[in-house]
Amino acid sequence: MSLFRIHAPILDDIRSDGLMPTLIAKTDEVVTRLTAGLNVEEIRSVLRGDPPKRPNPRVKPHADGFWMHMRPTYFHEKVMTLYPTFRLGWLSVYFLVFETITGLVLMLWYTPSPLRAFEDMQNIMSNVPLGLMMRDLHRLGAEFMVMVVLLHMLRTFITGSYKKPRQFTWFTGGVLLLLTLFLSFSGYLLPWDQLSLWAVTIGASMAEATPVIGREVNLLVRGGPDFGANGLLRFYLLHVFALPLIAFIFLGVHYYKVIIHGHSLPPKEEEIGEDTARKVPMEKRSYFLPDVLTKEVYWIVIWTALLILMVTVGNWHAPLEPHADSQVTPLHTTAPWYFLWLQGMLKLGDKVFWGVIAPGILVNFVFVMPYLEVGPSRRYIHRRVGLSVCAISVIAFSILTYMGTPYHAVSSSPDQEIVAALVPQTHPGPVRTASFDELLPGEYSSDKWNSAPTENLREIMETFDYEINKYGSELPGAVGIMNIVDWQVGLKKVTLSVVWNNGEETFTQNVYVHEDSKHGH
Amino acid sequence: MTWRTVVGTLATFVTTVVIAFWLINEPARMKEAEEGFAGRSMEAGAAIYENNCTRCHGPAGGGLVGLAPAINNPALFDGTRLAEVGWAGSLHDFVYSTISGGRPLASSGTTWPQRMPTWSTEYGGPLRHDQVRDVTAFVLNWGRAYEEGITALQNPETATTSMEPIDAVGIDINTPELPPGNPDDGEALTVSLGCTACHIQTEVGPAWLAENHPDGTGIGTRAGERIVAADYTGAATTAEQYLRESIVRTNEYVVEGYEPGIMVATYGETLTAQNLSDIISYLITLK
Repeated sequence: MSLFRIHAPILDDIRSDGLMPTLIAKTDEVVTRLTAGLNVEEIRSVLRGDPPKRPNPRVKPHADGFWMHMRPTYFHEKVMTLYPTFRLGWLSVYFLVFETITGLVLMLWYTPSPLRAFEDMQNIMSNVPLGLMMRDLHRLGAEFMVMVVLLHMLRTFITGSYKKPRQFTWFTGGVLLLLTLFLSFSGYLLPWDQLSLWAVTIGASMAEATPVIGREVNLLVRGGPDFGANGLLRFYLLHVFALPLIAFIFLGVHYYKVIIHGHSLPPKEEEIGEDTARKVPMEKRSYFLPDVLTKEVYWIVIWTALLILMVTVGNWHAPLEPHADSQVTPLHTTAPWYFLWLQGMLKLGDKVFWGVIAPGILVNFVFVMPYLEVGPSRRYIHRRVGLSVCAISVIAFSILTYMGTPYHAVSSSPDQEIVAALVPQTHPGPVRTASFDELLPGEYSSDKWNSAPTENLREIMETFDYEINKYGSELPGAVGIMNIVDWQVGLKKVTLSVVWNNGEETFTQNVYVHEDSKHGH
Repeated sequence: MTWRTVVGTLATFVTTVVIAFWLINEPARMKEAEEGFAGRSMEAGAAIYENNCTRCHGPAGGGLVGLAPAINNPALFDGTRLAEVGWAGSLHDFVYSTISGGRPLASSGTTWPQRMPTWSTEYGGPLRHDQVRDVTAFVLNWGRAYEEGITALQNPETATTSMEPIDAVGIDINTPELPPGNPDDGEALTVSLGCTACHIQTEVGPAWLAENHPDGTGIGTRAGERIVAADYTGAATTAEQYLRESIVRTNEYVVEGYEPGIMVATYGETLTAQNLSDIISYLITLK
C-alpha cells in the first residue's frame, strides 16, 4: 500500500481517450476559462468574421468576464461610423492609459526635488535608453489628450448628447475635463526648468486672487509664498497619485452612465424627445465581438504608430529650458496653451473678477448647463440659439487665447523686444540654433546684413534688421550690432546691441554659445 | 474589415522598424545629448561668471593684479596646483568646492590679500548648486586651450604672474616713494580694476573727465584745487599726493555731495607702488 496517491484525472483521460485528443480538449477548456466563455472554435470563427450562431455565444464573456462586462455586448450600427462620435471619448480613454504607461516609465528615473528634478530630466534624455522617446511621448500624449477631451466636450454639445437622460454623464465629463487640464498642468512643473516654473507660476497666480482666503489658498497650492521644494512635491503627488486616482474613479462613473444609457444616436435618427439608444433592433446591432474590438485594436495601433512616428521621424521633442530660477522671469513667458484664455482674461482688468469670479461662473455654468437647457429636441435646426452660443464661445475663447499670448499687450521696451527676437528667453531662437562654425568672430551691422560672410549670419542679421524696422518709429535711427568673439575653445561670446538716437542710447545683451549645445534638439 | 487589417499590420511593422533603428542609434544619440547638456552648462556658467566673477578674476580668467589669481592658469589643469594644496579628489571637485565654500584662508603657497567669498547657497552664498556646477564647467573648459595647444585663448601674461603674492604699496601717502609712472599703463589699470565703472559719470563718484563733470574741469586740475580748499581735511600738499591719498585712504576726505565708505578701501593692500604711480600719472593728465 502506498503512503499517498496523486490524483491526476488527466492521466485517466489519456488512458481512455489517447494523448492528443485529451490535450486538445484540455487546451479548449483552458481557453474557454481564460476568455470567460469562448472556446477555440468560436475564437477562430470570430477572427474569420463568421456571422454569430443563434443564440450568440459571443455575449457570454460580457456576462461572465470581468473586463468584458464593462463593455456593452453590442453597439447601434449608427454609432459605429466616424460621425457622430468621432471616437473622441474612446480616444480620451486611450490617452489616459497611454499617459499612465509612459508616466510610470518616467517615474523610475525621477525625483521630485528641486535639487534633483532638472538633473533627472537631463539624465532621462541623455542616459536612459528610450528615455527621450518616453518623455516626448508622454508630453505629446498630454497635448493630444487635452485637445481630444476638449473636442469631445464640443462634440457632445453640438450633437445635443448632454440632454435628458445624459445630464449627469455630461456633469462627470466636465469633472474629467477639469481633471485632464489639472493633470497636464501639474505635470508642467515637474521638469523644473524655466518654462515649467514660470508657466505654472502664471497659472497659479489665480490662487492668490481668491477673495478673503487668497493667501491661504496660495500657500496651499504652492507650498509656500513661491514654488520651491514643497510646491514641487505637492504637484508631483497630485500628478502621479491624487488626480489619476480621481480621474479613474470618474472615468468609471462616466463610462457606466454611457453603458446604462447607450451611446446617443445621431440626432436625426430619433423622434424628438425620445431616447431610443437602448432599444437597438436585432438587424442594427454591431456586436462587440468582433466588430468593435477589431476597430479598437486598429485605432490603438494607428494612434500609437502616429505618436511614435511624430517623436522619431517627425522630430517632435518636448522642450527643456534652462534650470528653474525664481529670480529671473523670462520675457514672454506664458501659461500652457489651454490656459492662455485665462491669461488673456487677466489682461482685461481686475485679477479677482477676471481671474477667479468670471472663470468660476463659466466652469459652474458648464456643469449645470444640461439642467438649465431642457429643450426636448436634439435636432440642429431646433437648437439655433444653443449652437450660436457655442460658436460664439469658441470664437471668444480663440480671441482670449490670442490675447493671452505675448503678441497682445505686452509691456516691454522695443529694444528688449528686438534682442529677444534673436535670443528669446522662452525658446532657443536663431542665434543659439545657428551653426557654430558659421558664427565667425567679428562685428556685424543690421543695416548691412547682406554683406555678412555666412548664410546663418545673414539670416540672423536680416532678422535683426527686420525687427529694428518694425519698431522704427520708436527708436529713431536704430541699428543693430552683433559682435562675436572666441571666448574659450568651443565657446563663443555673442554681444547683441541696439543703438539709437545717434548712438546716444544703447541696449546690450550677451549670450554664450557652445559648439555642442544642440539647442532645439 | 480587410483594409483595416492591412493598414494596421503595416503600421505595426513600420513602428517596429522605426523603434529598432532608433534603438540602434540610441547610444550615439545619448552621447550627443550628454555633450549637448555639458555645452549648455558651459553657456550658463559663462554668463554667471561674467556677472559674479570677472570683478576679481578678470573677464577672461586671467586674474587681476593684487586682487585675485588667474584661474585659466595651466598649473590648475596639469595637476601642479592640486599637488601643491594636497588635493586628493578630482579637479572638478576642487573647483566645485572652491567656488561653493570660497577660501576662508589664503591657500597653500599664496598670500592673496582678499578672501574668496562662499558662493553656494549651501554655505550662505547666492548660487544654487546647479549654477556652481555650470561655473565649474565653464572654468574647466579653459583647460581645453592648453590641451589643444591653442595659444590665442591661453592669456599667458597674467596666468603666469598672478599666482605670486604682491608687494603692496600700503596706506601711507609719503612712503614708499613712488617710481616714475606710465600714463598708458595707468589708463589700462583704471579699466581693468573697474575704477571707470563709477568715475565716468558723476552719480556714484566724481567724474574724472572734464566734459562729464559739472565744473568743466578734469580730476588732474581739481586735485590741485582741493588741497587749498577751506573744507579740505586731508594731509596732502601736492596734487599727486592728493590723488594717492584718495586712492589708498579713501575716507580721509570725501568730496561734498558723496557718501563716505562707498569707494573700495583696500587699494593700499592690492596695488603695487608701480600700479599706483601709473594710475596717478594718468589721472594728473586729465586737466
